[in-house]
Amino acid sequence: MSKSPVVNWIGLATLIRREWSRLMRVPIQAFVAPWISALLFIFIFGFVVGRRISLIGGHRYIEFVLPGILMLNIVNAAFLQSSSQVYFSRFLHYIEEALVAPLSYAEMIAGVIAVVILRSVITALGILIIAACFGAASIGAIPEFVFWVIAVSMVFGLLGIIIGLWANNFEQLTILNVFFITPLSFVGGVFNTISMLPPWLRWLAWGNPFFYFISGIRHAMIGFSEAPEGLGVGVALCLAALMSIVVWRLYSVGYGLRE
Amino acid sequence: MTPALSVSHLRKVYRRGTVGVDDLSLEVAPGDFFGFLGPNGAGKSTTIHCVTGIANPTSGRVEVFGVDAVKHYRDARRLVGLSPQEFNVDPFANARDIVDWMGGYFGMAAAQRRGRVEMLLEKFDLVQHAKKRFRELSGGLKRRVMLARAMVNDPALLILDEPTAGVDVELRRDLWRYLQEMNADGKTIFLTSHYLEEVERLCRNIAIVSGGRIVRRGPKDEFVREPGGLEAAYLRATGAEPDHVAAPGS
Repeated sequence: MSKSPVVNWIGLATLIRREWSRLMRVPIQAFVAPWISALLFIFIFGFVVGRRISLIGGHRYIEFVLPGILMLNIVNAAFLQSSSQVYFSRFLHYIEEALVAPLSYAEMIAGVIAVVILRSVITALGILIIAACFGAASIGAIPEFVFWVIAVSMVFGLLGIIIGLWANNFEQLTILNVFFITPLSFVGGVFNTISMLPPWLRWLAWGNPFFYFISGIRHAMIGFSEAPEGLGVGVALCLAALMSIVVWRLYSVGYGLRE
Repeated sequence: MTPALSVSHLRKVYRRGTVGVDDLSLEVAPGDFFGFLGPNGAGKSTTIHCVTGIANPTSGRVEVFGVDAVKHYRDARRLVGLSPQEFNVDPFANARDIVDWMGGYFGMAAAQRRGRVEMLLEKFDLVQHAKKRFRELSGGLKRRVMLARAMVNDPALLILDEPTAGVDVELRRDLWRYLQEMNADGKTIFLTSHYLEEVERLCRNIAIVSGGRIVRRGPKDEFVREPGGLEAAYLRATGAEPDHVAAPGS
């Protein structure tokens, strides 16, 4: 009896192709909505309000706020992609197609994350094009920028998988976004520096991963950062590693997947 | 000879404590056409789910052609094709994609898949429906898509859970003929069905499950030769009252 190949590349490519085809059924929801939302944020906060705000760290407000808006949308794209992919495949039972096939857990997870990264990158590119129309799309360090886009996509993609496996209804699917992702991202420095926060709230930023992510991508784009870059990279890598282990473990015990 | 399917002391307890199967053991010889019968909720689908990886067995051992279906699940999965009782597909995907994707999951290259998918779409009379979304198909057409999907990887062991539920007489006859051809070519087929006529016509060996346990097994001819035939034997084995079917002289 012949053995399965170490990596089922065709299987992995099919998982990606299959999910991409699902995503392409809802392009307005997947791509146009975040682009319009980013356009409004850039126009109102960056352009209209920003003209009345003095420089922050030597940068125009529109340049300061753009990395935060970008990060906000990457986080949302990554989380929504993986949580909905996993949840709907469970809800409609077509996850069973992958379960009965010779696919390893790592391949199943990689298939989800690959689409997460693809969706995040396309979302980010669209926002950069919109920002360029307002003269605010500079990227100082491209490798650093790419690192942050991919690292943050992975962290929130993996988090989305956990929620997608755990949720038993649509309400549960949105809980993390409403109570965790949106509030923490807003107090993590999307629209302001941490030094602008009330002193009693500043300490919270250091325990808020969004602070490091926003600070990191802002450094990659305009060279302005409030958090030590090495610490930010460490936080992102540790979270990605930790989430990978948790997700792999959940798949291997069949949590939320198998009866 | 290594059995095509070996299940020993299988036990499956669901999270809420429901026992799906309890100490269930059976063997299916390679090349057999095996009927797995039982009333609703007896444990047929649970057994199939444990064999194919949809459910985690609580205890016991499942082997497909000697390969442990839990420890070496990828090797075991390559040998099996499943047509499940419930439609477990993306309802917005079209019929061709559903079959093609499954071939991809099994590692079949694009060129190999293309030929196989076209052959199956033709075989199940799905060519003119290939681009329709699954949700737009009738019940019978949906069932055909499930069958084509189960066969795309040309499995050595084909597991069919109620494959003819909701299909018309013509397709049922065509499917029977096709399954008999596949079986004659050496494929092992494991069939559950509530249509005893179907089991009587196709299967060589039968096991009857009730309350999560095998209550009777043997060659089909043994069951058929009994007074009242297979139906009466089935009803007796599952504890139902067979009197109304076991008419004198039957």
